[in-house]
Amino acid sequence: MTSHIATVARKEFEDAGRSKLLWSLIGLLVGLVAVGYVAIWYTADDITAAEVLSFLGVPLQVILPVAALIAGYMAVVGERRSGSVKLLLGLPPNRTDVVFGKLLGRTAVVGVAIGLAFLVSLVLGAVLFGSVPFLEWLGFAAVSLLFGTTFVGLAVGVSAAVSTRGKSMAIVVGLYMVLIALWELLTAGPYYLIYDESVPVEAETWYLVLEQFNPIFAYTNLANTVVEGSIFPFQFQYGLQSMEAYQMTPAERYPGDAPFYLQDWFGIVVLVVWAVVPVAIGYYRFQRADL
Amino acid sequence: MTAIETSGLTKEYGEITAVDDLDLTVADGEVFGFLGPNGAGKSTTIDMLLDLTRPTAGSATVLGYDAQDESDDISPRVGVLPEGFDVYPRLSGRRHLEFAGKTKGTDDDPDEILARVGLSAEDGDRPAGDYSKGMRQRLATGMALVGDPDLLIMDEPSTGLDPHGIREMQDLVRGEAERGTTVFFSSHILEHVEAVCDRVGVLNEGELVAVDTIDGLRAELGGGATMALTLADPAEWARDLVTSLEGVADTTASGRTLELSVVDPAAKATVVTALADAGATIRDVRIEEVSLESLFTALTNGDEGRSGTADAVTTETEAAR
Repeated sequence: MTSHIATVARKEFEDAGRSKLLWSLIGLLVGLVAVGYVAIWYTADDITAAEVLSFLGVPLQVILPVAALIAGYMAVVGERRSGSVKLLLGLPPNRTDVVFGKLLGRTAVVGVAIGLAFLVSLVLGAVLFGSVPFLEWLGFAAVSLLFGTTFVGLAVGVSAAVSTRGKSMAIVVGLYMVLIALWELLTAGPYYLIYDESVPVEAETWYLVLEQFNPIFAYTNLANTVVEGSIFPFQFQYGLQSMEAYQMTPAERYPGDAPFYLQDWFGIVVLVVWAVVPVAIGYYRFQRADL
Repeated sequence: MTAIETSGLTKEYGEITAVDDLDLTVADGEVFGFLGPNGAGKSTTIDMLLDLTRPTAGSATVLGYDAQDESDDISPRVGVLPEGFDVYPRLSGRRHLEFAGKTKGTDDDPDEILARVGLSAEDGDRPAGDYSKGMRQRLATGMALVGDPDLLIMDEPSTGLDPHGIREMQDLVRGEAERGTTVFFSSHILEHVEAVCDRVGVLNEGELVAVDTIDGLRAELGGGATMALTLADPAEWARDLVTSLEGVADTTASGRTLELSVVDPAAKATVVTALADAGATIRDVRIEEVSLESLFTALTNGDEGRSGTADAVTTETEAAR
């Protein structure tokens, strides 16, 4: 049987592309980039376009997950609750087409948002700072696209796995809060209880592995390897680990040569895992659900 | 060939049995009405045919394909009008039809489909979120018709339609049937089914209580009549007399009125002559045909496990008074 993933994805892209909320988020993202570029150009002297590029890391790491989660958390469960999934499954597309078509379509929407933001940064970088750091720009855009895809996958996976909108929203918001606001409490907190000390720079390996598995850290670590300047993860901090430790990647904190899973590039695997596992769970549950 | 066949199809939600051991066969090319009150299990049955819901036990085939294992072979050949569906509010009506056409691999003209279901070209340009309930129903019907399906499965197609719209829907079903399409549609309103169906199945509390043609159901009632005779004297004495007659099912006497159900139409005359022969003075005879509506009520108001035979039906009709 022919696959209808592409057809469903195109419909999704059109449908989600008409959501006003999503467009305001895209507008916010593009606007922040533009305003930020102009502000840096206005205040700072002697700064290259490549260094300004790292400025993008701040709005991107906050808004991209939010936009992607909003784009995705209702994808499947929203249709299930409204009943339009019955109309859709009454046509030739099957449940596989629905899940992956939605994933693809909504990823494309977020991809467009990222593309627009980067296009603005490219143009403004050239106009205001006089150069185009093309390779760095491209690398950063690619990493950001992967980061956005991760959160779309997470949200679409959750939306396929649950039966009500409320559950989907609760899980998605809860996960985001864990990643951005509660992470240090949940990782450095137990560390403190176990070892009776705040987390040192050279922390135990399990702790570094945990740090490595936060997709936001994975993104900033990856971004730092492709752009000049430094992008710090935006996190709620509770003072359970030193500022110095906070600004270092797991690879830098590991005494000696870091094993492969603590290297910066391993962040790619981390981002892929955060997308694939929720989609796999969601797909499995949606396949077996009574609609 | 059979369009739909279920055997032992059962769906349980915890303690509740929504569909109970359903055996149903719908032949190719027929218009089959699936009747039952709300909550009888009609939608659950349809959902199982479309693999939206998985049966607890039993199996079903649609157009010869297994409803679960081969659902990908079924969906391109079937047009579905689901119940409790919603449209994509931001997409236009025409875009819905284009999408349906794309998935079914046809290039049916959306405007032609719009016209067939009674939507104008201007309606087609508007976002479907602005549509009324009836217009959404028409749009979904249009999506079901795209690609000229071999089988139309419609769950409560008259939902949201006014009487005029319901007649249009019936014309559409007749038109599809003439083109050789098998139509399977559910309703909780008998008169919507009566006008177009070759056969009906009546579902109640998850069980199939009757499957027959409309005429067959009528015949099963044996003329489907009750007689009320007013005698000159108290009627109690005549009760045993008429009860013993062939073709009389159920008798009650109250005051000078004798009420009875006749299974065989010819029994009416026998009753009158027998009473006259026994010396009764008959002041009045009233005969009421049992309407299909009351038959339906009788079939579906039973506590459980009604057999759908004439006895059960007439008894219920009496009890319902």
